[in-house]
Amino acid sequence: MTALQAQALLPYFVLSGGIVVLLLLVAWLRSEVVAFGGAVAVLVGALATVPWAAQAGPQLIDGMVKIDGYALFFLALFVLTAIATAVLSYRYLGPRAVHRQEFYILLVIATLGACVTATAAHFAGFLLGLEVLSVSLYAMIAYPEEAKPPLEAAIKYLVLSGAASSTMLFGMAAIYLANGTLAFGYDGAGLTSSDRAILALGQAMLLAGVFFKLSLVPFHMWTPDVYQGAPAPVAGFVATVSKGAVFAVLLRYALASDLLDTDALHAVVVVIAVLSMLGGNLLALLQTNLKRLLAYSSIAHLGYLLIALVLAGAANGNPDLGVETGLVYLVGYFLMTLAAFGVMTVLSGEREDAEELDAYDGLLWRRPVLATVLVVAALSLAGIPLTVGFIAKFYVVNAGVAGAAWALVWALIVGSAIGVYYYLRIVFAMIARPADGVDAAAGAHWEGLVTAVVLGVATVALGVYPSAVIELAQGLAP
Amino acid sequence: MTTDLVLFWVPALVALIATLMVITRKNASRALIYLVVSLLAVAVIFFVLGAPFAAALEVVVYAGAIVVLFLFVVMMLNLGRSSVLRETRWLQPGMWAFPFILVFVLAIVMFNVFAGSGDETKGQEVGPKAVGAELFGPYLLAVELAGFLLLAALVGAYHLGRRYLEERREEAG
Repeated sequence: MTALQAQALLPYFVLSGGIVVLLLLVAWLRSEVVAFGGAVAVLVGALATVPWAAQAGPQLIDGMVKIDGYALFFLALFVLTAIATAVLSYRYLGPRAVHRQEFYILLVIATLGACVTATAAHFAGFLLGLEVLSVSLYAMIAYPEEAKPPLEAAIKYLVLSGAASSTMLFGMAAIYLANGTLAFGYDGAGLTSSDRAILALGQAMLLAGVFFKLSLVPFHMWTPDVYQGAPAPVAGFVATVSKGAVFAVLLRYALASDLLDTDALHAVVVVIAVLSMLGGNLLALLQTNLKRLLAYSSIAHLGYLLIALVLAGAANGNPDLGVETGLVYLVGYFLMTLAAFGVMTVLSGEREDAEELDAYDGLLWRRPVLATVLVVAALSLAGIPLTVGFIAKFYVVNAGVAGAAWALVWALIVGSAIGVYYYLRIVFAMIARPADGVDAAAGAHWEGLVTAVVLGVATVALGVYPSAVIELAQGLAP
Repeated sequence: MTTDLVLFWVPALVALIATLMVITRKNASRALIYLVVSLLAVAVIFFVLGAPFAAALEVVVYAGAIVVLFLFVVMMLNLGRSSVLRETRWLQPGMWAFPFILVFVLAIVMFNVFAGSGDETKGQEVGPKAVGAELFGPYLLAVELAGFLLLAALVGAYHLGRRYLEERREEAG
């Protein structure tokens, strides 16, 4: 490993070294404040080394991981999400678990796994990164000690995610059989027709596993159950980081291996995108539970995101614009999803999460600040102008038109129209003045409140001034 | 059909049959015995392909350590009045006869490999030294990542297991 490669790996070294230090600190001191502070310090430290790592330029290390602007963009996104999740969890976990120190270790390990997944240039890095992320998530979902629903959600996620991982492994084995290498790139000229058939089979199995992790229709069944059972801040982390990491590596693989040049696979991705956009939005219509509603809405959003993949990966596509669209969309999706789960976390009581929509009736008159953040998040998820959700949706429509993928654009328009109904239902529930007067606000949770407000402000700020994120996302095609 | 094809297909078939038996058995300990057979068959395939070290690891780590650990846990759970009865049932031929036949087939394959001229194993032989050099050369990052995977599993299992242990302790005290 050269000095330049070590410099490029610096944020990852900070994360992994930090985990070891954190583990020792927790073992010695058994203090929640130390665990929490240490985790945030490690995450901030990793973020601080990003500019330095970026100076090292794109570095392919051992053919295993590629540290480039694309990987570091995702690292920054995941680390910021992890910081928000840590801050939101601090007060939330208090009444739910006696031993809370390990949660922060698991959170940092999960972040490391997600960041490595986004760097993968080789199936070993892909699978290991993804499994480091998934295994930490199982424990994070099951973390609360008394309640049964988190345990149930974790077991569902464990079994189904394990099945998806084994499908992916089988696909990787088939790809290896055809290609003779586990690296992402491939040499199309040397393949016989039977090799091509095996390669296509492997890629189809790989996509099935990846689509499961992204919870796209028809692999979406686990999503509402897992979100509902998971603790609210962890559900936000699952909805954002685990999907972002899988999308990052999918986009990287699609570009390196000309995945969508195979007509059948291209058609499969388009059909699944259309099904997810329509299915996710239709299933969300009748939900009365905010967690389930957000789960179905995330299915639809990941469907929109596939348009970026289709544009980036298609033979007649535009990789630069496709990747830019994907990155901008993910930033928007992360912000508004985290804002919604953040508000839910702050509102949650000592036992129950504030997940039923009834809990939000007249919220604007009880908790005006939190309600405003949730209104902003809902409007942004619906794609109303002046929010980052609008910019994100504008980008995917643009990508769909640029790639002449009309079926996708129509599905997006119909899906978004359906979506407006249930997002506005949340907003209307909150602004209706309660009949039985206004009851006093519950206990303060200032650090969660600050996080939610920051996320809400960022949602609007990037909607008004999107070039901040667009300039970052430009020219990052891996 | 040439010898090396037979040497591949027979253990492959044994692995398939044993794995089918694993997923169709209703009794967990019975399924685990078939899982051992399946892993042994895969080990034979590794051996025939010219990877004796991987074959040895498959036997030692998977068939030897992990599945036996599973078996212990399954057998130690529900230690009650019925356990003696159950152990009597385990000693009946229905429990071990078919797995024994499958393992016997594998033993014949291995015997043929050892008795043959040595050309039966295909490809270049990959020994422990070569595996180690790869793991701590180009795959170093992957090894480190696998360490974090185990660490995550360990921390998670510790947290989830402690809940159970504390409940047990409260019941006892």
